[in-house]
Amino acid sequence: MEVLTVTLNPALDREIYIDNFELNKLHRLRSLERTRMSPGGKGINVSIALAKLGIPSIAMGILGGYVGRVVLEELRKIDKRITTNFVHINGETRENIAIIDEVNDTITEINGPGPVVSQEDIDHFLRRYKMSLSRANCVVISGSIPIGVDEGIYAQLAGIAKEKNVCVFMEATNTLLTKAIKQNCPDVVKPDLRGEQVVLDQKLEEFEDYVEAAGEIVNYGAKLAVLSYKIKNDIVATKEGIWLISMTVPLEESHLLGSGDAYVAGMVYHALRKKWDLLEMAKFGFSAAVAVTRKKSKEMPSIEDIEAERDSFTVERVK
Amino acid sequence: MMVYDISAVFEDETVERVIHILSKQSVSGIPVVDDNMKVVGFISENDIIKAAVPSYFMLLQSASFIPDTNQLIKNLSRIKDKTISDFMSKPPITVNEDDPLITAADLLIRHGLKTLPVIDKNSRLVGVIRRIDVLRGVFEGKEEL
Repeated sequence: MEVLTVTLNPALDREIYIDNFELNKLHRLRSLERTRMSPGGKGINVSIALAKLGIPSIAMGILGGYVGRVVLEELRKIDKRITTNFVHINGETRENIAIIDEVNDTITEINGPGPVVSQEDIDHFLRRYKMSLSRANCVVISGSIPIGVDEGIYAQLAGIAKEKNVCVFMEATNTLLTKAIKQNCPDVVKPDLRGEQVVLDQKLEEFEDYVEAAGEIVNYGAKLAVLSYKIKNDIVATKEGIWLISMTVPLEESHLLGSGDAYVAGMVYHALRKKWDLLEMAKFGFSAAVAVTRKKSKEMPSIEDIEAERDSFTVERVK
Repeated sequence: MMVYDISAVFEDETVERVIHILSKQSVSGIPVVDDNMKVVGFISENDIIKAAVPSYFMLLQSASFIPDTNQLIKNLSRIKDKTISDFMSKPPITVNEDDPLITAADLLIRHGLKTLPVIDKNSRLVGVIRRIDVLRGVFEGKEEL
């Protein structure tokens, strides 16, 4: 097993397709095809994407209750390349709802908070995490954390992995990520900027702010930092320089679901199966993200889908 | 056919903790591993029941001989903080991931087990196979785990 993915706050994802979605109105779904249920949470999505690319992984995290059981059963059905190793708790795993309006090209997301997790359950998870790391070359830590879990947990997980010489990929929001970057900087950092555009506790407004933040993450020790800029672009920083990757094809914004996770999976795939070439990893990840947006549902792309997007963007050195 | 799940416990975990884990996961037993994920035992609800009830009870065919549950409660309280290494089945009965399905069926029937840990060539846990998985495999004409 080469990859371990960590999803501390998994979810049952529900995609609901409603044309001309409006607030305060009854919408009736006319067919079952307009709704889809799948296991989710960022790390789980990465495991699913990696399986599609032929890479086996161990999916770890915390599940609970009836929804947790559904998530586990559905995940096991997807691909035998995904080995599960979840800690089961008393609370109920959350549901994430995405309302997709293809007519107006909008996506409205409602993400549940997840269960309350005790320190005993975290300790239980940490011991199994250390054991699972013995079988991994690379760990992907991403997504939110449940209530009750210390915000330094990602820094702790990164530190444990680095002690064991396991490469760390991390995608998370500002608070979790900042602690990790400052304490045990992951090798590959991708801030989750879907909600607020804040990195290292600094609000990003101008293009220069993004470039500066990407460079600062590398200065903390990351080998690669990838910052999404105005959805269609990414700022990519390594020790060698900083680049702007810009999408040159039209983007269906209502199809963005799972694109960030495909991006991470693409980078992991390139690192493990092709070459540890940081800019090429980012370009492959970008291609994977573009490939996801070609499809209506949160369907992860094949290698052919990804390769087909190699000309869908430009790369320009900015520093 | 096998379930690619490596949920496991460690031999220094307490009986109480393992009862909690079995209950939460709705499984009747779970592999016991070391820090390198090597399977060193298997602990089932049956192992815990056997440890909690007086040994002569196992010889009785009817619960009507048991005067009350006080002794069971007392015995469970006595062992709840003990580590499962005292009660787990060891050495574990396992099946190799490359073995045919019939090997798993044979082991499950011969030893009266519900679940078998599946291991790789280094004895590391890669999953489990349950009786129902074997039945489903046979029904579907599968020959591999």
